[in-house]
Amino acid sequence: MATAIFFIAAVVAVLGAVGVVTFREPIRSVLSLVVVMLALSILFLLLSAQFVFVVQIIVYAGAVMVLFLFVVALLGPAREAARGRLRFQSWLSVLFALVLLGLMYSMLQGVQYRRPDQTDMSVFGTVQSIAVGLFTTYLYPFELTSILLLTAAIGAIYLSRRQVDDR
Amino acid sequence: MSGLSIGGSQLDASWFLLLSALLFTIGAAGVLVRRNPLVILISIELMLNAANLTLVTFSRQLQNIEGQLFALMAMTVAAAEAVVGLAILVDIFHTRDVEDVDDLSEMKG
Repeated sequence: MATAIFFIAAVVAVLGAVGVVTFREPIRSVLSLVVVMLALSILFLLLSAQFVFVVQIIVYAGAVMVLFLFVVALLGPAREAARGRLRFQSWLSVLFALVLLGLMYSMLQGVQYRRPDQTDMSVFGTVQSIAVGLFTTYLYPFELTSILLLTAAIGAIYLSRRQVDDR
Repeated sequence: MSGLSIGGSQLDASWFLLLSALLFTIGAAGVLVRRNPLVILISIELMLNAANLTLVTFSRQLQNIEGQLFALMAMTVAAAEAVVGLAILVDIFHTRDVEDVDDLSEMKG
C-alpha cells in the first residue's frame, strides 16, 4: 500500500516538475509547482514527518505559492523571448543536468547508512518532538530565524514601496 | 539495510533519495534553460523542495529528528528568499520591461 502511494506521489511530483520547467506561461509553472509540493507533502507523511507535512501545505503550498501567484497576476502575462542570445543554451543546459543527475546517481550507489538511533517511533515527527528539538538544542538558530524573517519583511517593504516623487 | 518499514510494507530510502535527485536536476535544468526571471525563481523553489525531501528521508532513515528541524529551517529561508526575490523582480518590472534575464546585466562591471 505504502509502495503504491510512494510511486503515485513520485510520478505526480516528477510530472509536475517537468511542467514547471516546460510550460510557457508562468502561471502554469506556479500551479505545477503547487502540484509538486502537494505530492512531496504526501511523501513527508510517508516518512512519518507529520509536522513538516502540515508546514509544507500551509506555508509552502499556501503562503509562498499565493505570493508567487500574486506577482504573476501583478506583472501580467510575461513574454519570454522565443530565442535567447546564447546559442545551444538549452542543449548545453540539458547536458549539464544529465551529467549532474549521473553524478548524484553514482554517489547514491555507494551511500552507507549508519545504524539508526533507537528512537521511539510512536512519537517521531510529532509536534511535540519537533518542539523539544527546536526549543532546547536549536533555540539559538530558531531565534535567528525570526530576525531573518524580520529582515526579509523590511527589505520587501522597502523594495516595493511606491515612489511618490519622480526624481 | 536501507529499508524503511512504512505501514507494513518495505520502502527503500534510496528511492526517496533518487526522486529527490531527479527533482533537483529538473529544477537546475529549469534555472539554466528558462530566461524569464520569475520562472527561474520558481525553479529554485523546486530545487529547495528536493533538498528538503533528502533531509526528511535521512531523518527517517537514521530515526533522528534533526533532519526535520533542518527541513523546517530550510523552508523559512526559502520563504524569506522568495519574498526578497519577488520584491526585487516587481521593482525591476515596474521600471522597465524585461523579457530575458540577460537584459539585467548592467552590474557585471
